[in-house]
Amino acid sequence: MQFIYRFSAVCAPRIASRRILALALFVSVAGTVRLDAQTDYYNTDRGRPIQIEDAYVAERYGVELKLAPLRLERARGGVYNWGLEPEIAYGILPRTQIEVGLPLAYREVGTERQSGIAGLELSVMHNLNAETEGWPALGIRADLLAPVGNLAPSRAYPSITGIATRTYAWGRVHLNGKYTAGSSLTGTSASSAGAEELSRWLVGGAVDRTFPLRSTLITAELYGRKPLITGEDVEYNTGAGIRHQFTPTLALDAGLGRRLNGDAPGWYVTFGSSFAFGVSSLFPTGR
Amino acid sequence: MKHSMRIGLAGAMLFSAAGTIVAPRAASAQWSRTYEQFYLPGKFNFTFRREYAAADRLFNAFDYGHAILYERLYNNPGAPVSELETDEYDFITKKLLVSPPKLPLEEAAIEINYAKLAPEAKMMFDWAHLLHRQIYDVLASEQMSQADKDAKVAELVAYYKTRRDLAFSSLPKNMDLMESQPYSLAFRQRYPKFNGLIWGYHWLQVGLYEPLMVGRNQEQRQAGVLAAVSRFRQMLDNAPEHMPRVMPMTAAIAPTFAARYQEASIIFDNLHSMHDVVSDILTNNTVVSRSQKRAAILAAASRYRDNTSFLMPLDEWKSMGTMMGIENMGGPAVGFLAGFPTPTLARGASMAEAMKGMAGMQHGAAGAAPMAGMQHGAANSTGMAGMQHGARGMGDSAKAGAAHQMPGMAGMTAMPGMTHGAMGAASDSMSAMHMSSMMQMHERMMRDPVIRERVMADTAMRRMMQGMMDPSMPGMQHDMPGMQHDMTPAAARPSTTRARTTTSRKAASAKTPARSSTARKSPAKTTPAKKAAPAKKAPAKPAPAKPAPMDHSKMPGMNMPGMKP
Repeated sequence: MQFIYRFSAVCAPRIASRRILALALFVSVAGTVRLDAQTDYYNTDRGRPIQIEDAYVAERYGVELKLAPLRLERARGGVYNWGLEPEIAYGILPRTQIEVGLPLAYREVGTERQSGIAGLELSVMHNLNAETEGWPALGIRADLLAPVGNLAPSRAYPSITGIATRTYAWGRVHLNGKYTAGSSLTGTSASSAGAEELSRWLVGGAVDRTFPLRSTLITAELYGRKPLITGEDVEYNTGAGIRHQFTPTLALDAGLGRRLNGDAPGWYVTFGSSFAFGVSSLFPTGR
Repeated sequence: MKHSMRIGLAGAMLFSAAGTIVAPRAASAQWSRTYEQFYLPGKFNFTFRREYAAADRLFNAFDYGHAILYERLYNNPGAPVSELETDEYDFITKKLLVSPPKLPLEEAAIEINYAKLAPEAKMMFDWAHLLHRQIYDVLASEQMSQADKDAKVAELVAYYKTRRDLAFSSLPKNMDLMESQPYSLAFRQRYPKFNGLIWGYHWLQVGLYEPLMVGRNQEQRQAGVLAAVSRFRQMLDNAPEHMPRVMPMTAAIAPTFAARYQEASIIFDNLHSMHDVVSDILTNNTVVSRSQKRAAILAAASRYRDNTSFLMPLDEWKSMGTMMGIENMGGPAVGFLAGFPTPTLARGASMAEAMKGMAGMQHGAAGAAPMAGMQHGAANSTGMAGMQHGARGMGDSAKAGAAHQMPGMAGMTAMPGMTHGAMGAASDSMSAMHMSSMMQMHERMMRDPVIRERVMADTAMRRMMQGMMDPSMPGMQHDMPGMQHDMTPAAARPSTTRARTTTSRKAASAKTPARSSTARKSPAKTTPAKKAAPAKKAPAKPAPAKPAPMDHSKMPGMNMPGMKP
């Protein structure tokens, strides 16, 4: 899940965002040094670089480390929102991955600055099938945003997502539909960083096109979501992005998008990197 | 209002898209639960990519070749042959192989419809290719001892076999599985050039193990790998002339590797064999309709995974490559000479036919014992390496007059005195004098140091020469200066040191050859491809090692096209 944190003030947002971007780049590059990994650009993940993902999971026994998924949003009026959420996923069973994310937040509200953990995200994703001529690839994901950290929502929010991926000669189509259970947020409970990005529902689609000889994928999405905060209107967002396998051990992605409606329809950019590696002790030797 | 319209429009689009992609097509609905699995971790991973970049990048291009082949065959069953044989072939050989991709390709993005047709089979290929690459990494490692490498390869194979739903059997499958099915041979017959390219891929894929095995140090390994890569590129010239004519078998192309890592070698042979089978199924639209292709592929895949069906004895697998003739498989991957060995099989022939054809060569009295291990199911597949009698059906006595092609003898035609039908008995028209003339010609040729070196470097030809001089063959004792000396066991030793000849020697002279852009982009320039011509004239002596006496009366013609009397 991507978190967007809103600044109520506009002081020094550019400086902050540059620091975050620099940190993300540093972590990405530093992380490449000793990791063995595998080509990953074709397996799109939520928020990498767009919200809509494909139905496939991390390979069995593979560990996928997403070190610097960064999202920076500029709302109308020059208000910046940003989020950073390192995640780690592990292919624990056939077609099944577990994932842990730790969203970090940095907020400036007027003269007050807040930073910390905006919850603990746990998820299980299961790919039901491989795509065939008759069936698209189907996946299902269960998430739990736990109230961990000073900027987290006050209670846990579970959600479930259905995913479908269909491949055509011209590209792939992905559909996502998500529902979050739990009471709506009102008043002060809605002000936490994690709560602001929770959606009662989210429905969207994306298309991507792969350039296999260049190990590059471009993608675009359109989705709508109903915020969990009472009284908020449905938001519509569109975005586009690119994923590129930089080396066998490093996949990079970047994206940009725009909120189409609402009081503050601004733009956002994302940047991320991922590495896949294995831990020998987790593998069957077969001997 | 504006927002409501947007909502409505977006909703309609999503609903429409959902209906399109989620609704299964009942007629072809297939549920597949195959899945990917991570490769075994280790420091050795990506060593080959680092140390042998030029070769490693070729494999990325190979991925494309396999994938686009299946996609084209499946998508465009009625397409003109030129689509693959010319358009795609030219793109691959003139662009892609010249500047191969830096990274492994996502084949699902190339073979889009094929991947949906049979994801299970695609995953089998992916899983075996992973093993391929990891073994390169192990063998390329300069940090691991031989014992470490042995242990790691064993571990890799064991890990590979944990995926029973994907792993090819490590027991050898016989030729019937590949060549005796209703759909068999369609691809090689319709697309001989692209088929040759695929076999060229397979030649290099197994062949590269050999220089990694026999090289005594990193420099030798580098030189050997570069030489093998250059050899592969030579195959692309004047295609499909120098491309393999039967599926390259690991035991023949990489004998050192196959002897040490038998299971892996068998797995790769089965892998390459199934590549051919899938090509045949996709090509043959007469026998296998579009709606039957998935079932046919999955049935073949199942047979390649099981350990019970279509098996051949291990001894047979070990010897089959040699028996079929390495010259028909693209030649050796190390120690080769500038020119290509002359194939003895017609392009498009099946292995079974080749083996069956050899049965027609009666060595000695009728019913010469079939060679051990050469029984292939119900096929009359007896034979001897290098003794392929030209066209198919030589086993049929009614065709006894068919051309008797011998390695190295291509290009010779209607040579007086070479009619085997006249050789056997004193009353035959093939007199001893003629045989003597032939031997004199051989002698003269063998006095040429260049020819002699080439013959001596070719183990099969050397064996034949020994056979020719067998005292049991009347009229075959001739003085061949230097031959006895050269055919000592030392000279017959595997070609580890011979890798330094010609192309290898040149390759070795370059610093960090694998990374040489010159070598990558125009490797042919580093190899004396043009000098291959003399090798075509080098004669081969089609006499097996110590055979029973040859009944030449059954060989009325020894047709040697191209050699004028």
